[in-house]
Amino acid sequence: MSLTRFLVSVVDDDESVRESLPDLLKEFGFAVQAFSSAEEFLASDYVDQTNCLILDIAMPGMTGPDLQRELRFRRKEIRVVFITAHRDESVRPRMLELGGVECLLKPFSDTALLNAVNDALGIH
Amino acid sequence: METQSNSAGGENARNESGLSTEAVLNSLKLIFAGAPLSEVLTIIARLVEAQRKGMLCAIWLLDKDGSHFRCAAAPSLPAAYIAAAGGLTVGPRGASCGTAVYRRETVYVSDILTDSLWDDYRHLALPHGLRACWSRPLLSSGGAILGTFALYYREVCHPRTSDVQLIENVSHIVGIAIERHMKEEALRRSEARKAAILDSALDCIVTIDHEGCITEFNLAAERTFGYSRDQVLGKRLADILVPPSLQDKHRRGLERYLATGESRVLGRHVEMTAVRADGQEIPVEIAITRILLDGPPSFTGYLRDITQRKQAEEKLRRSEAFLAEAQHLSSTGSFSWRVATEDITWSAELSRIFDLDAPLTLARIRTRVHPEDLHVFDGAVDWARATGNDFACDYRLLMPDRAIKHVRVVARATRDQNDQMEYIAAVHDVTQSRLSEEALDKARMELARVARVMSLGTLTASIAHEVNQPLSGIVTNANTCLRMLAADPPNVEGARETARRTIRDGNRASEVIARLRSLFSNKSTAMESVDLNDATREVIALSLSQLQRNRVIFRTELAEDLPTVKGDRVQLQQVVLNLLRNASDAMSAVDDRPRQLLIRTERDDGHRLRLSVQDTGAGFDPRTVDRLFDTFYTTKQDGMGIGLAVSRSIIERHRGRLWATLNDGPGATVSFSIPLDPDSVSDDHSVGGIRTAAAANAPQVMRNA
Repeated sequence: MSLTRFLVSVVDDDESVRESLPDLLKEFGFAVQAFSSAEEFLASDYVDQTNCLILDIAMPGMTGPDLQRELRFRRKEIRVVFITAHRDESVRPRMLELGGVECLLKPFSDTALLNAVNDALGIH
Repeated sequence: METQSNSAGGENARNESGLSTEAVLNSLKLIFAGAPLSEVLTIIARLVEAQRKGMLCAIWLLDKDGSHFRCAAAPSLPAAYIAAAGGLTVGPRGASCGTAVYRRETVYVSDILTDSLWDDYRHLALPHGLRACWSRPLLSSGGAILGTFALYYREVCHPRTSDVQLIENVSHIVGIAIERHMKEEALRRSEARKAAILDSALDCIVTIDHEGCITEFNLAAERTFGYSRDQVLGKRLADILVPPSLQDKHRRGLERYLATGESRVLGRHVEMTAVRADGQEIPVEIAITRILLDGPPSFTGYLRDITQRKQAEEKLRRSEAFLAEAQHLSSTGSFSWRVATEDITWSAELSRIFDLDAPLTLARIRTRVHPEDLHVFDGAVDWARATGNDFACDYRLLMPDRAIKHVRVVARATRDQNDQMEYIAAVHDVTQSRLSEEALDKARMELARVARVMSLGTLTASIAHEVNQPLSGIVTNANTCLRMLAADPPNVEGARETARRTIRDGNRASEVIARLRSLFSNKSTAMESVDLNDATREVIALSLSQLQRNRVIFRTELAEDLPTVKGDRVQLQQVVLNLLRNASDAMSAVDDRPRQLLIRTERDDGHRLRLSVQDTGAGFDPRTVDRLFDTFYTTKQDGMGIGLAVSRSIIERHRGRLWATLNDGPGATVSFSIPLDPDSVSDDHSVGGIRTAAAANAPQVMRNA
């Protein structure tokens, strides 16, 4: 699995997520890039290389769904796993409707994360 | 006794037994000419004296007391005797006259010196040379004794037959003269009385004879119609007082009555038009009666100028019409209620609102009151009866068609002319405005509830968000850490790093909690001088409509001359508002007793003020009293349980305390007590201490309030 070297990008305004998630994803064997905002990600060189995007929903400035729309607009087909600290049951269906592969409510377990990322990458 | 014919001896002839015919005729003429009685009687006395030499004639009238005499004529008797004879009284031994009256027969005393009838009076007569006295009682036609006719002699004298005849004849004439005089006197008096009555009568009195001619026209009639009595007497009424347009009718009416005895006006009060001397027509009320006398009928008319009454009636009618219209337009009925007699006077609109026909009584009105609001109605009635104070209340009516009306009653206590308690009240049908108010209120409450739930939801969400972020980091780090340690070989350095981050995120989470705490805790309060009564009144004004809607009977007892307190006006008002709402809500399910709410301010011990709100609601379970003020604790189904907790924190910020007690009767009282100046309270009585004291004391004082 580690040989595939899929690039997973993490976009979250929360620092502890940006620090902890990449380490876990690396443990799973993915290459990881972390960004503190949607704008920062869009401006980076990793948009085209990213295979899976782990995207926080509520962020200052451009939100997670905003970024997803923007990517679709730019015809960048990146599978998205939404994450959010708002534990609202109604959020997940909405995100899946928007085209998210999964929507994880923080805090989530490592297996939930791995399953979601694998789903996004089509790995079974 | 001889017969009357003996006295008539022919014209101018002297008759031994009587007066000449001429003398009799002369005296009769005088009598009927209405000459004064004394003059007539004196002439008769002189005529009689001329009949007999040495005879003195006197006519005595009996006083009203029936026992003394008054001289009517005695041309020849000594004045001194006339005066002395005033002492003579009627009796069995009353000289000649007194005995004659007593016996009702002629008494002949031939010798005063020896006759025992004069025993008591001899000393009066003898000094004046009177020796004999014959006296005959004068009788009226009805048999009453008018007086005596007396003949005196200066020597002993026995009556002859002719004397007896003379006495009888003359007495007859004298009797006629006196009786006629008395009748005339009575008639004169009665005429005078009638004139006085006529002239002092407030109504116009006009009498007419059968031809319609005026025979009497009193002072009031003169004033009203502008004619003098003399101007109209003998004139035809139709020409004087009846307007031209009605003259024919008047004549026909009079003719019809005379012909058939039918009348449309006789014996009734009729309103018609009359005309005054200046030609102006005036409305009059008239009553005509027939004067009951023999002969052709005559009539008395009593007339009253009712111009002013008509004007007043018209004014009243207009004002009543205005009032009725205004009442209808504003859906406001009115009534007056005399408490003592239960008399109720009501307007048409009131019976429309209640849909009740006359007569309205409290009992009948009560049948329309909604069963759930009967306690409001009864409470108001009892209150009115007990206190005699003004009152206002709102209640619902349940109409026969099951429709519900809302009415507002405002009643003012007054006293009528007899100083009896009487309420004047307006009843306003507020159904329309109440329905829209209720709709509005429902919308507003829904909005408020949504807003409250929303804001709390938002708050919870943001709290969750703030906490979930570091939690998420902690979980992820811990997972990473485990995986690093589980690797072969274990990545100890990485695990250490993630463990460190786990600790950091744990600290972050606790920082979030600390930040939240500080967010909700002591904000600096805006301290100013607060008039607690003023602040309370503002809150009451804001809450009034809600209280009325909840049919709460509301009372205040705000102590006068309360000093101001140093505090945050808005926050204290929030507390008062909270207590009012809680009390009102606590009574929302109460239907078996009045929903009474009393808000009271007073001075408390040790430079403090106390405000308490007392309700007749559900009260609370004493076992849970210490939880009442806990956040999120509520006895209300839709409550959030925040109100009392917030109130307590505000009061504690003012270094006061807030507590609840159960009433002796139903319901609870929630009170707070705050120092006039929180800064003057030493730290010993600081927030924490007071809170403990309040919590500890509350259960104990519960039943004392």
